[in-house]
Amino acid sequence: MKILLMGHPNVGKSVFFNRLTGANVTESNYPGTTVDYTKGWMKIEGEDVEIVDVPGTFSLDPKDRAEEVAVSMLHESRDAKVIAVIDASKIERGLYLAMEIIEEGYPLVIALNMRDVAEDKNITIDADRLERILGIPVVSTVAIAGEGIKELVSRLKEAKPVNVDDIIANAANASDTESAADAGGAA
Amino acid sequence: MKKKLSEMDYGEQGTVTEIEKDLQKRVAGMGIRVGKTLRMVTKQPIKGPFDVVVDEAETSLGLDMAGKITVEMTK
Ligand SMILES: Nc1nc2c(ncn2[C@@H]2O[C@H](COP(=O)(O)OP(=O)(O)O)[C@@H](O)[C@H]2O)c(=O)[nH]1
Ligand SMILES: [Mg+2]
Repeated sequence: MKILLMGHPNVGKSVFFNRLTGANVTESNYPGTTVDYTKGWMKIEGEDVEIVDVPGTFSLDPKDRAEEVAVSMLHESRDAKVIAVIDASKIERGLYLAMEIIEEGYPLVIALNMRDVAEDKNITIDADRLERILGIPVVSTVAIAGEGIKELVSRLKEAKPVNVDDIIANAANASDTESAADAGGAA
Repeated sequence: MKKKLSEMDYGEQGTVTEIEKDLQKRVAGMGIRVGKTLRMVTKQPIKGPFDVVVDEAETSLGLDMAGKITVEMTK
């Protein structure tokens, strides 16, 4: 199995990578470029799993070499699972990239990282609800403190491709339920 | 009044009204869509990078991108 760590620059991908992998890490240039990337191995339930720290990208519509490499790495690994690392204090833009990856049919789990930073900004995110809407695991993490990393790994097996239409339907249902609850509260 | 994002001055704020098509996906990944409010936080934006705050988080754009985004000024 192969796992790609993907997300914007500076969201904590490399911290995850370092916490997940052991000593067996290699850094190389992506062929034909000067863009570096790192890969390593970890064991999950006895299986050797390759993990790639993919260069940061804002979208799958690349605007520079590093982003092109990120998108190429994704497209070359059709059978990979993706851990989308999102800065919880900038969730909308992070989810945009995650949705693009979902749309391409990759099985995904989301790490809502930097929960500590989000909390400092009074941002709290209902990860369970987001998980119900997206239909994939969503785990709150603080990578530098190691929080949530075990849970994230244990839930990788639940990553599966989801249909964007289902997500839209779930989101519509979720907001119906919310307005029903609000109405109930007012009555 | 409308301006390009690249023409906004420090502290100015506005709502995005138009983004050139080739850029829409890219900047959506940076938090910028039509209808979003953004505020210029670069002190002397001339050639960029242009740092703007959108949804209470900063994002940084090059001149090539900032010149393709139209903003209706609100202050
Ligand atoms: N406060 C906080 N800082 C974090 C967290 N995860 C990573 N960082 C810090 O964020 C910065 C960027 O992390 P890095 O792994 O290099 O990001 P990458 O560009 O996605 O690989 C580093 O200074 C990390 O120490 C977190 O959960 N909370
Ligand atoms: Mg990194």
